[in-house]
Amino acid sequence: MIRLPSLPVLVLLGLIAVAFAVVPFVAGPYEVKFATRVLATAIFVLGLDLLIGVTGLVSFGHAAWFGLGAYAVWFVTPPDYEAGNLLVALGAAVALSGAVAAVVGLFAVRTRAFYFIMVTLAASQMIFALFHDTRIAGGSDGASIDVKPILEIGGATILDFSARNTLLWFSLAALVVLYGAVLTLARSRFGRVLQGIKANETRMNALGFDGARYKWASFVIAAMVAGFGGALFASIDGFVPPEILGWRESGLAIMMVVLGGVGSLWGAIVGALVYALAEEMLKSADLVGATVSEHWPIAMGLFLIAAVLGAPKGLAGWLPLRPAKPWAPAAETGAAVETRRASPPPRLEVEGLRRTFGGLTAVDGVTVAFEPGRIHAVIGPNGAGKTTFTNLLTGALPVSGGTIRLDGVDITALSAHAKARRGIGRSFQRTNVLPAFTVAENCAVAAQARGLAGASPAEEARAVTEALTSTGLVDRADRPATSLSHGEQRQLEIAMLIASGAELLILDEPLAGTGPEETARVTALLRDLARDHTILLIEHDMDAVFACADTVSVLVGGRLLAHGTPDDIRRDAAVREAYLGRFAGLEDAA
Amino acid sequence: MSLALAPRTQAADASVEPLLAATGLATAHGRVPCLRDVAFTVRPGETIGLLGRNGMGKTTLLRTLTGLLSGGPTASIRFRGKDLAGAKPAAISRAGIALVPEGRGIFPNLTVLENLILPERAGPSGKRDWTLDRIFDLFPRLAERRTNWGDQLSGGEQQMLSIGRALMTNPELLMLDEATEGLAPKVRDEIWRTLRVVAETGMAIVVVDKNLEDLFELADRHFILAKGEIVFEGTTADLTAEPDLVHRWLGV
Amino acid sequence: MDLVLVQIFNGIQYGFLIFLAASGLTLVFGILGVINLAHGSFYMLGAYLALTLTEVTGDVFLACLLGVPLAVVFGWLIERAFVRHLYKRDHLQQVLLTFALILIFNEVQRILWGSYPHGVPAPSYLSGSIRLTDQLAYPVYRLALTAICAALAGAMFFVIQKTRVGRLIRAGESNREMTELLGFDSSRLYALVFATGTALAALAGMLAAPVESVYPGIGERILIISFVVVVIGGIGSIKGAFLGALAIGIADALGKVFLPSLAGVVVYALMASVLVVRPGGLFGRVIR
Repeated sequence: MIRLPSLPVLVLLGLIAVAFAVVPFVAGPYEVKFATRVLATAIFVLGLDLLIGVTGLVSFGHAAWFGLGAYAVWFVTPPDYEAGNLLVALGAAVALSGAVAAVVGLFAVRTRAFYFIMVTLAASQMIFALFHDTRIAGGSDGASIDVKPILEIGGATILDFSARNTLLWFSLAALVVLYGAVLTLARSRFGRVLQGIKANETRMNALGFDGARYKWASFVIAAMVAGFGGALFASIDGFVPPEILGWRESGLAIMMVVLGGVGSLWGAIVGALVYALAEEMLKSADLVGATVSEHWPIAMGLFLIAAVLGAPKGLAGWLPLRPAKPWAPAAETGAAVETRRASPPPRLEVEGLRRTFGGLTAVDGVTVAFEPGRIHAVIGPNGAGKTTFTNLLTGALPVSGGTIRLDGVDITALSAHAKARRGIGRSFQRTNVLPAFTVAENCAVAAQARGLAGASPAEEARAVTEALTSTGLVDRADRPATSLSHGEQRQLEIAMLIASGAELLILDEPLAGTGPEETARVTALLRDLARDHTILLIEHDMDAVFACADTVSVLVGGRLLAHGTPDDIRRDAAVREAYLGRFAGLEDAA
Repeated sequence: MSLALAPRTQAADASVEPLLAATGLATAHGRVPCLRDVAFTVRPGETIGLLGRNGMGKTTLLRTLTGLLSGGPTASIRFRGKDLAGAKPAAISRAGIALVPEGRGIFPNLTVLENLILPERAGPSGKRDWTLDRIFDLFPRLAERRTNWGDQLSGGEQQMLSIGRALMTNPELLMLDEATEGLAPKVRDEIWRTLRVVAETGMAIVVVDKNLEDLFELADRHFILAKGEIVFEGTTADLTAEPDLVHRWLGV
Repeated sequence: MDLVLVQIFNGIQYGFLIFLAASGLTLVFGILGVINLAHGSFYMLGAYLALTLTEVTGDVFLACLLGVPLAVVFGWLIERAFVRHLYKRDHLQQVLLTFALILIFNEVQRILWGSYPHGVPAPSYLSGSIRLTDQLAYPVYRLALTAICAALAGAMFFVIQKTRVGRLIRAGESNREMTELLGFDSSRLYALVFATGTALAALAGMLAAPVESVYPGIGERILIISFVVVVIGGIGSIKGAFLGALAIGIADALGKVFLPSLAGVVVYALMASVLVVRPGGLFGRVIR
């Protein structure tokens, strides 16, 4: 989770702010312009860190939004040497960047990793080409804003961007406000989902959040922040070159984010400042000597390489984090009872379920019903189709045929997050908690999924308490999820499912890699949960399966070989054959 | 029920320098321990069955022995007198250990012939017993399909190709993960027949498979893994004498 | 009509050049998993090597013969010094480190060759034009360039399809772990692939020098276009890079005729439409 800045960080940021504020009193116009440029850039980079550091989307086209914001000022400035309205200019910048990003984002958020980088790069290059190759706004010569925007109220000029100092102080105030706003957003319930998506999008979809919509929203917000910075940038020199839309600017912005420390938000500000100062210093012959200053990009490149290889966490990694606010259990007593549902757990029916991959049939016409309030184990050799079966039930994969009904309602075609909202929760074969979150925060994100169904924050808090209590993780509540033992992480996954309010729990090998004591604890927990949940247990640990399951389904080669009580299954000759090969017969003879 | 290792006296065998002697293997996936202080030996010319239910560490053991996973600081792997602990997979392959992995690892964008000749080389002792002609003798089916792409093969053909390709490196030890999983009974029989032919050449073999009857027929000794630990080590006779043991660790 | 024909010729020739550059990029990304922003710098290096070596030898083809081995060595050194640190790092750090390399390479270029554009003469025996129709003449060097690139593309397919090292590259692209299990050391394969990719980009720059002027930003345009080609063709696919490069070359050339002011947008629009239909590129594996 993104933390509030610690005291040393606040002191550092305060000093930086004061230093910027006093520039006009201690230095000349060049320095004032330089400082303003740094501030505008810092706003631009702050928006990018919301995308990279909070949502985990590496955009290589962020400069497009910065540049569009700058061009927007030109668009709304009247010709004939008149000043434009400052509020209109800033509004237009934010609106133009946001609107174009909203369209581009629709495509971009459907791609991942390398392809996201490439799609954003292509989008920004198209916008660059539009401004560079056509005469839309001065073409390759750039656009000149003859008179900078002013804010007049009742004939009196309140703010005039032509005044260097005004622009500097306004930019400083804007950065402070935007930093606070972005930080608040990142720590809000919305921001918590974004961080969850960064850590593990599959997990968030399985909890019921529509990852693509959240990513799209953060893409647009980040673009709007950058557009605001662009408007300030345009007001510095009154000149917008098309190059500020280009990929080099996007690359520099990424560089500043990483230099400052990804995901700290204030690191973006420090990164922009340090990069600009480093460039100024390396260009200054007085400071570094004529040879270095003449070839400063080499020194800059080496500095950045050293930074990447030596301090992958950036400058923010050197300062302490403020610890998370300790988790406190929901105040009301008897909370656990209240969150128990009155309605019975659901019944899941599957009919003729099929899934093929190319020519291979992974799940081949499975028909089975899972009665409510029971533990149903699904077993089978490797490659039997268990994981595919799970993915079909949860919507992670589309089916090739057949139907899935939950309490009689056909849910076959629903997406993963839509199924999650109907109360299907799953744990994953490989541990899948959100690593940067504490135990309590993991449960809180999961409980937030109830909010999608209309639960109040108080109900969510109670759900977290219930989840932590019933899994015995209360004393671990404030530990980072990564510091838990493997067995505890598996229990945290179950805690997240409880917190999310899911009624049908699909657990994919919850006992893999756990020790005997933990196995016993988890099986006891499952028995307890079966009172008001329907549980599907996909598991290899036969002792545990036969100890706690009410029914056992055996999948072999994608087909349902047998379904019945544990005793039925033990006696089933076909099952024995599948597990022991022809030795099953030998054993009887022996 | 006895969980202890079956008592055995094999003085004659024990005097032979083992081909492979691994001790202290403690492989972990992140924080999850997958092998707990495993010791595993193969003597020259021996055929070993490696048993255990799914998820108990068989694949992890094979991946550790081939250098794909680290066996941890306590691991010692000696093969033909060479220390291979910490060695890269490529070096281990060239030292003479070949793995036919689960999933078979056929290169889909190479033809059958290309898959076979890619790793063609003399073994660590300079022998070139296994040539393309001999592989085609062993698996006539591959000769018929030599120009087909790797992804145009049936599962059985892929397994034959994977075994043939491993033999083309002229190894001293051949290890197979899930040798016959997912194959039709006829094809399984062909794989077992082939493995017996290979074993008769004196090559040491380690096989992971679920068909105990066939495995018992082929292998001299067996290891059973459960939750990352060796819970049984002994001969086929030891194992068939105790059906309880099989049921406890492998059955339903 | 003649103009269209000329532009189609130009498009094919440009497409072949991009293919040389993009094939290296797609191999490096497909096999090494590294996003190499500095790939354009290798094209620039080639162009400037052609400039200097043509001055020395008097012939751009001799310059290529000398320049390619230099580029191989250069690529190998860069891989050993920087790129190999990136194999286990995330895309963000790859982008950053290779971006830093661009800064350095550009400045080194400025120190060695200065900021002014230069021309490299085509060899005198290829300097004229050929008459194709009554009104239409086409420069001989461009035709020769197309032929050479086509021959190189053919040679590349031959190496990839028919030789031992080609088999290893294909195997490494589809299943690196299996190649290691069969005794092939990845780090050597990686160095080889990176050095080859460097040489291909540099060779493209050398051959292009007589038809483009040689100037400082020359590598960056080719870098972005190469990425577009990689995405269109599918990561790691030489065949995809070939078709993608020709499509981009022709689209760009025709865009200049029919949509002169929007020519810069055409190639990206082409990429966007390919991605909508096939998210993994023409020959890419489907990435969910």
